[in-house]
Amino acid sequence: MVLVQALVSGILIGGVYALIGIGLTIIFGVMRVINFAHGELMMIGMYLTYFLFTLLHVDPFVSVLITIPIMFAFGAFLQKTVINRILGSLPQNQILLTIGLGLIMSNTVMLAFTSDYKILTTSYSSSSLHIAGISVSQPLAVSFAITVAITAALYWFLMKTDTGQAIRATAQDREAAQLMGINVRRMSILAFGIGASLAGTAGALISPTYYVFPQVGSAFTLKAFVITVLGGMGSVVGATLGGIIIGVVESVGAVTISSDWKDVLVFAIFLVVLLVKPSGLMGKSRM
Amino acid sequence: MRTRLTALIALLCLAVPGVSFAAGKVKLGFVNTITGAEAPIGENLTNGVTMAIEDLKKKGIEVDLVKEDDTGKPEKALSAFEKLATRDDVAGVVGPYTSACANAVASRADQYKVPLLVPVAAKEEITQKGYKFVYRLNAPADVYSSVILDTILALDKPKTIAYVYANTDFGISTVKTAKEYAARVGLKEVADEKYQKGAPDFRSTLSKIKGLSPDLVFMVSYEVDAITLMRQSKEIGLAPKAFLGAGAGFTTAQFLEQKEVSNLVFSSTQWTDDVNWPGAKDFYNRYKAKFGKEPTYHAACAYEAMRIMAETAAANGGDREKTRAGLRSGSWKGIMGDVKFTDYEKFTNQNRHEMLVQQIQAGKYETVSPAKYATKKPVYPFRWK
Amino acid sequence: MKSRAASAAGTVLLLAALAVLVAFPAFVSNPYALHIMILLFLATGQGEAWNIIGGYTGQYSVGHAAYFGAGAYGTLVLLQKWNIAPWYGAWAGVAVALLLSLLIGTICFRLRGPYFVLASIAVAEIVRLTVLNVPSVTNGAEGVLISDLPPFTIGGWVVTDFSTKVPFYYIALALAIVTVLATWAVQNSKLGYYFQAIREDQDAAHSLGISLNFYKNAALLISAFFTALAGVFYALYVRFIDPTTVLPLDLSVQIVLIAIIGGIGTIYGPMIGALVLIPLSEVLRSNVIADLLIKSGLVGVDSGLGIFLKGRLAQAHVLIYGILVVVVILFMPQGVLGFVRKLASRKEQG
Repeated sequence: MVLVQALVSGILIGGVYALIGIGLTIIFGVMRVINFAHGELMMIGMYLTYFLFTLLHVDPFVSVLITIPIMFAFGAFLQKTVINRILGSLPQNQILLTIGLGLIMSNTVMLAFTSDYKILTTSYSSSSLHIAGISVSQPLAVSFAITVAITAALYWFLMKTDTGQAIRATAQDREAAQLMGINVRRMSILAFGIGASLAGTAGALISPTYYVFPQVGSAFTLKAFVITVLGGMGSVVGATLGGIIIGVVESVGAVTISSDWKDVLVFAIFLVVLLVKPSGLMGKSRM
Repeated sequence: MRTRLTALIALLCLAVPGVSFAAGKVKLGFVNTITGAEAPIGENLTNGVTMAIEDLKKKGIEVDLVKEDDTGKPEKALSAFEKLATRDDVAGVVGPYTSACANAVASRADQYKVPLLVPVAAKEEITQKGYKFVYRLNAPADVYSSVILDTILALDKPKTIAYVYANTDFGISTVKTAKEYAARVGLKEVADEKYQKGAPDFRSTLSKIKGLSPDLVFMVSYEVDAITLMRQSKEIGLAPKAFLGAGAGFTTAQFLEQKEVSNLVFSSTQWTDDVNWPGAKDFYNRYKAKFGKEPTYHAACAYEAMRIMAETAAANGGDREKTRAGLRSGSWKGIMGDVKFTDYEKFTNQNRHEMLVQQIQAGKYETVSPAKYATKKPVYPFRWK
Repeated sequence: MKSRAASAAGTVLLLAALAVLVAFPAFVSNPYALHIMILLFLATGQGEAWNIIGGYTGQYSVGHAAYFGAGAYGTLVLLQKWNIAPWYGAWAGVAVALLLSLLIGTICFRLRGPYFVLASIAVAEIVRLTVLNVPSVTNGAEGVLISDLPPFTIGGWVVTDFSTKVPFYYIALALAIVTVLATWAVQNSKLGYYFQAIREDQDAAHSLGISLNFYKNAALLISAFFTALAGVFYALYVRFIDPTTVLPLDLSVQIVLIAIIGGIGTIYGPMIGALVLIPLSEVLRSNVIADLLIKSGLVGVDSGLGIFLKGRLAQAHVLIYGILVVVVILFMPQGVLGFVRKLASRKEQG
């Protein structure tokens, strides 16, 4: 019974992890840049959600509609002004640049809104449904449903639209795509915008059951790396799977092994995947 | 512009140690966590100290305060303390906030012969090493657990206890003392679950504990982890006879606001506003008016520590050795009740502070124990609304 | 001709700088000043050590905290639990770090580019979590605190009892110098030549018969050795360690920053990086600037700006740090040293 419970909550929380991972994987796929500021983008999404809720009384789940375009614009702006300038440069410089950007984001937020924890209390923050003795967190169930919808929409966009195919082509081979007349610059801006809005959405969805503070991002950045590598860098389906696997491993690991060793387990799985199949679970089919 | 520049240069030259102490004027240091992950609690200490400085000014004590940020890292705290001791020539230092930083800094106070007053760090070791220059205002970790278990033992004979706590210095040292105390009174441990601070999902751990149906659930959590834990306990339907929170996250205004999940939770605290300690209520009101939120016990501890340090240092003309002796021999009465630094059991220069147990009843923190401070009777056993 | 004169002048300058550093404690006794110098030497050592694997061999490890922590923990745990003097315990710590580097090398060097970076992070995180979760050995989250160091004696003669900062100053200086010399030796040896060949093009190096696995591991081993020594020093100097101070990801990033801000793959780079970062972070952290501005009368204490500077600037130091990182990467991709060289060569040309 405890195990089933762990499995259910693991899958639900894994949905949110998946969104963070998908955002990172798209950015990496198109630009080959590991975004160390990914958690900070999520943090900004959380603050947006928080202020939309407390100031304008927009429900966190509805606010996703506002958060997505704002975060898209922010991501596109970052790509255009900063990230784009280092696309060809050394990988360690790319890493440090995104680390620097992360520091700037989290500390600007801290100066503006202090380092206080902000808690978003909705009427359903601790509600749950009980199905056959298993409790299902209501807000998590809703956010899982939204995650599924967004992932499906994104998949359709990437597979069926011209722009989506252009993004995929860029991810597969940047130079070839350029030769074929694809505006690679524009695709990069799109990709970073999508990545940022997905991170922001994940932030919005986790807000009703979690809390917000300027340094909240770093833990999620690390998680996003694990998820992305697990699924195969650049693979959307892989990141979705990876997110759910990590959610389940954490949750089931906490009851079967112990809550303090479960994080070691996550990293150990990460390493094993890196060694046995560095291209990840879905590595071959980029995106 | 030119004269200003000259002034600046002149000042740069003067920025060498060399401090004179006018009557009622004193230079003190304050090491706190202003940035980094511990910053949210650190802010309470900053506010408490800000109020203390204002109040001291009214009493004619002008404090030249040098604030240092340790970012929650011991080596930064050491660097800050060394700067205060040697470059700023302060008469005494209040801080640091976290156990890890305070522990590291305490080991150097004797070396530099600078009086250090630790306002709120809980680790027992800090005042157990026989340092001459280290004083502590708050009660150490063992009291956090004993005072709250005593409260429950006065009500009932619980048999089993489960521990859920943050894998941090504070979490571990508090639970260690709780386990010793529980063993002494015959409570059986059924679960021992450490978690990484800030984890978003405790559901599986909590449902495992639910399956063991302990009488008591003892938790040590920072800030908002306490809220996440209680929200998910409700979700899972974990309902022991009592939820016990050791300080920190269970004593904040934010926790109180989560009415759905925080009702009837017990917590141990260094301070509440409704005790009859002189000025406690007044401090609460003025703090709330000034900063727009309720003071936590951290704020009260920092306020009182700064007051004691400043008054003692001012009375001794800023002389470090005399200030140390002043701390050692003096006694104070204020918003933290009676303060006196003594040696007992393994402790030295430790204020034997009486901790309080509060319970949230009808959306308010009520002091329920010890009896002489109680404003309400404890409600037991626990039930969800 | 000109270059020989320049190098002679350089040597003289270097020796002069060294003489100043050696004589420094004789003229400056302020412990705070010594403390800053010690941090500077420590950072130089860390940066140079990373430089061997990151700068010369081109393997961007973001997990060096693991070696630093291994050195620190090895020393203090042995001292605290078994009372083993640190000058012996240190080597146990270093040995642990070396074993760890071999293990990590075997695992991670099969991966390249970003995968290697992520794997190095993961391994360092596993080390941190493991230290956190075996309190019986490491004290877990509570950390290891040593109140007093045993005096360092040879025979019956007490060399130093570590009561002041001066012995630490010289140890740190020696450590920095040895690390720099080792980097120099590596750079001018066949080993360094192979390292750089691997950095420039792994596949080409491999086809020339350079064993990638062997030389990458060799570079990591050297790098881990000096990083662990820095860790040992840190532990003895601060005398308090816990997983969040000697093993976190932040520390790994910090080490990389020192080298990259200065300029990687050069001997002077990490020195310059340390010279930029350590004083900057100390000045920003202690809010000296705001104090000076207010005291000089340039900014009124009660003016809005004054209150902001005093109250908030202290909080802004990490922000400024972040801005610095971004600016350096965008405008000086070869680090400060590379930037200066570029400026110099531009001047020479015209």
